[in-house]
Amino acid sequence: MSNSNVSRRHFLKVAGIATGGLCISVAFPSNVLAEKGIIEDNGSELNAFIHLDENGDTTIYCGRCEMGQGISTALPSAVADEMEADWQRVTVKQGDADEKFGPQSTGGSASIRKMYQPMREAGAKAKIMLIAAAAKVWKTSPENCFAQSHFVINKLNQQKLGFGELASIAKSMPIPNKVTLKKKSEFNYIGKKLARHDQNEVVVGKRTYGVDTKLPGLKYAAMIHCPVLGGSIKSVDKTQALKMKGVTDVIEIPRFDVPFGSIGGVAVVANNSWTAQQAVEKLKVEWDLGENAVYNTKEYKQQLVANVEKPATLAKERGNVHRALKKAKHKHKATYTGGHLSHSPMEPNASVVWVQKDSCEVWASTQSPADIQKVLGQYLNRKPKDVVVHVAMAGGAFGRKFKCDYVHEAAVISEKTGAPIQLIWSREEDMRTGYYHSINAQHIEASMDDQGNVTGWLHRAAFPSIPTLFDPSLVRAPKGALNAISNHLFGVQSIRAESGDAKAHTRIGWYRAVNAIFYGFAFSTFADELAYKAGKDPLTFVNQLFDNNKKKKQKKDIKRIKAVLALVAEKSNWHNRESLPEGQGIGLAVHYSFKSFVAMAVHVEVKDDNIKVLNVDCAIDCGQILNIDGATAQMEGAVVMGMSLALSTEITFRDGAVVNSNFHDYPVMRITDMPNVRVHITDSDKKPTGLGEPGVAPFAPALSNAVFAASGKRYRDLPFKPMAV
Amino acid sequence: MTQSMMINGTKHEITVDGDMPLLWFLRDELEFTGTKFGCGKGLCGACTVHVNGQATRSCVTPVSSVINKKITTIEGLSENGDHALQKAWLNNNVPQCGYCQAGQIMNAASLLAVNATPTIKEIETSMQGNICRCGTYQRITKAIAEAADTLSKEA
Repeated sequence: MSNSNVSRRHFLKVAGIATGGLCISVAFPSNVLAEKGIIEDNGSELNAFIHLDENGDTTIYCGRCEMGQGISTALPSAVADEMEADWQRVTVKQGDADEKFGPQSTGGSASIRKMYQPMREAGAKAKIMLIAAAAKVWKTSPENCFAQSHFVINKLNQQKLGFGELASIAKSMPIPNKVTLKKKSEFNYIGKKLARHDQNEVVVGKRTYGVDTKLPGLKYAAMIHCPVLGGSIKSVDKTQALKMKGVTDVIEIPRFDVPFGSIGGVAVVANNSWTAQQAVEKLKVEWDLGENAVYNTKEYKQQLVANVEKPATLAKERGNVHRALKKAKHKHKATYTGGHLSHSPMEPNASVVWVQKDSCEVWASTQSPADIQKVLGQYLNRKPKDVVVHVAMAGGAFGRKFKCDYVHEAAVISEKTGAPIQLIWSREEDMRTGYYHSINAQHIEASMDDQGNVTGWLHRAAFPSIPTLFDPSLVRAPKGALNAISNHLFGVQSIRAESGDAKAHTRIGWYRAVNAIFYGFAFSTFADELAYKAGKDPLTFVNQLFDNNKKKKQKKDIKRIKAVLALVAEKSNWHNRESLPEGQGIGLAVHYSFKSFVAMAVHVEVKDDNIKVLNVDCAIDCGQILNIDGATAQMEGAVVMGMSLALSTEITFRDGAVVNSNFHDYPVMRITDMPNVRVHITDSDKKPTGLGEPGVAPFAPALSNAVFAASGKRYRDLPFKPMAV
Repeated sequence: MTQSMMINGTKHEITVDGDMPLLWFLRDELEFTGTKFGCGKGLCGACTVHVNGQATRSCVTPVSSVINKKITTIEGLSENGDHALQKAWLNNNVPQCGYCQAGQIMNAASLLAVNATPTIKEIETSMQGNICRCGTYQRITKAIAEAADTLSKEA
C-alpha cells in the first residue's frame, strides 16, 4: 500500500497530473526492465501506462513515437479495449523518454509487433484490479462481476460502480500475474474503424508539433551546414549577420563524430526565426570540404553498375549458380538502379533544447528519444537519463527523425548561449543535410529450363549501406544486408548473392521501407521480364516460382504471399486485361518485408511516353489488424510515397554537395497525380506484423511491369522520369 | 502611426519589420502556431491562410503587404471548428501526421468560396500547390467534394 502511494506520487510528479487515481504499469520481457508487478515501486522507476482519475477520466500513455502512422491511437485503443474502458473517456498522451515505456525507438514497422501484447496485458490487468475492487465493495466474489464500458457490473443484482469510483480501491488490489486476453469476437475497438484520437485538434490548428514548442525566453536559431560529409569550417565572417537588428549570436558548431551527431555548421541566434534565417544568408563561410568533395552521384551510379556487372564479394550461395547458368538453355540478365532519396517530411527538422548547469530539457519531434539522450549525454558529458526528452508529435518523419543531429545542434547553441533555443532547419538545409536512402545498383542473371522453372539466380547488389554510419571504413554492404536476397520466397534451385563495392560518401539512413525499396523493385521487375522470356503469363509464372519453393518452414509464407497476389489480380481485373484500351496495361508485384506480405496491381495509361497511373489495387496481409482505417491510410500513403520515388524523386550530389534544394527540384507527388487507390486487407488472426513500410516496396515494380504491358518500354532505373537538376 | 491588420476578427498591431513574412509574424510574434512552415518559398502550401478571403501563402507574404487587411488562419476558420470542410475532414479521417492539413483546409475553403460545386478535376487543380507527404490526397479530394455537397444542400 505504501509502495503504491510512493509510486503514485512519483508518477504524478513525472506526468504533471494534479489528481490522484490508479496507475498501471507493465513489465517487459527485457533485461532493462526487471519483471515486476504493476503498481510497484523499486525506488527509482515506475512503469506507467494507465492513469485513472477519481472522476473516471482515463489517460493512456503511448511510449512509441507518433509521426502520422497512427500508433498513438492503435496501441492505446488496444489498452482501452482490454480494460473495458470507454474510449470517449480516454485521453492519449505521448510518453516522455523513459525506460518505463519499454523500447521507444520507433522504426522498422515494429511498434505493434513489439508492444501489442504487453499493452493489451496492461489493460487486462487494470480490468482485473477494477473488478477486484468492486467485488470488495460488494463483498462478493470477482467471478460475480464483469467490466463493461467504464463500469464494473454485479451479475447477481445488476449494481454498477464506475471506474472512477473504484480507482482508489483498485490501486491496492493484488496485481495479477497472468491475464486472459479477449477473443476477437469480444473486441470493442481492436480491428475496428477508429478515428485518430487527435484529429479534432488537427482540423482546428491546435495539434502541436515539435516545431510549435514555445517557452518563456525562447531564442530562435537558423543554420547552414557544411555541404559535404567530413568537411569542416575554415573561416566564418560574422560581421554582416551580427549587424542585423535582433541577432544576438553566431555560433560555430563543429562536426560531432558520433552516430547521429551534427555534420557541422554555423548557426545564428535571433529574436525570431525570420531574422535568424535572414542573418544566415549574410554569413560568409569558407569550408574545408574534405575528401568527399569528389562525390558525384551520376558517375558514382555508373561505377555501381560496373561493380555489379562483374564478379563481386560472395555474401551467400545455395546450390551452384555458375553451373546452372552454364548449363542453361534459357538465360536472361538485367541491371536495375535507384538514386538517393530525401525523406522530406512536411515538418523540417526542429526542436527546442535548454541546457542549464544542472539540467538539459528537450522538446523534439523524434522517432528515437533514447538516441537524443545518448547523443546529448555524450556531448554534454552527462548521463543519458539526465537528459529529459519531451516527445512531440512529428509532422512526418519517414525515418529521418530517428537521427537527432538537429537536436544535438540545438543543444550546442543552448549550451553556448544559456538560453532555451528553438532551431528550425530551412527546407533547403533539410533537403541537403539528410541521411539519404542508398543509391544502388543490382544485377541479376538467371537461367530457366524449358518449363520456365528458374534453375539459377545470381544477384549482385551494390549500395552504400546504413552500417557505414557506425563504421565509415566499410567498402561494401555487409553480408547481412543481402539476406533479403538469399531468403527470398521465390523457389529457385540455386541462388547466389554478391555484394558489390560501394563506399559511402554521404550519410545513409533508414527511409520508409529501406532496402525493400530496391530489392522489391529488382525481384518483381526481373520476374516479370523472365515471364515474358518464358512466354508465360506473369501471374502464372510468379505463382510457379512460389510453388517451386519446397522449404517447409516457408510453406505458410508461400500460401500468404500467393493469396495477396491473387487478391490484387482479381480486384484489378487482371484476367480480363486484354480488353483494356490501347496504351493501357496492368502490372503486378508482390514483396515480403517487415514480416508482412503486400501485393499491388497498377493500372496505367501510357501516351507519348507520359505515364498516367489510373488505379492501384493494394493487398496486405500483416496478421491481425488493430485499426482497419489506420491500416488503410498507411497503404494509401505507401502508394503515394512509392509513386514519388518510382517516377520523380532523386537526390543528386555534385562535388560532394546536394544539388536539390526545395520542392521545385525535388518533385514529390501532388494531388493531380493521385490514382484511385483501393486497399484490400486480409482478415487474419495471426500475430500482427509490419504495416507502415512494407506497402512502399511493390509499387515501383508493379508500375514498371504495367508500363511494359502498356507500351513495351521497360524501365529499370528509379526514378523513371528524373528531373534534370 | 502604428499599422495593423485584422486576424481572425481581432486587430493586431504590426510590431515587426515590414518585410517579415506573415507566417513568422503569426508563429513567432503572436504564437498562432496552427499555420505551418513547410518550404519558405510558396512551393508546398503548408502555410496557407486567407487574406481578404483569398488563399495566400503566408511564407512569401510580407506583413507590409497585408496592412489593414483581413487575415483568417485555421484557428479562425470557424467559431467552433464546424466549417463543412472541418467536419468532412473528420468524417473521412483525412489527417495522418496532420502537419499540412491546416494549409489544405484553408486552400479548400478558398476554393469553395468561389466555386461551390467544383468537379473532381477542379478540386485537384486548385489543390495542386498543397503537398502532403503522408499521402492523404485521395481522402482530401473526397472530403472537399463531400463538404461542397453539404454546403450546396444548406444553400
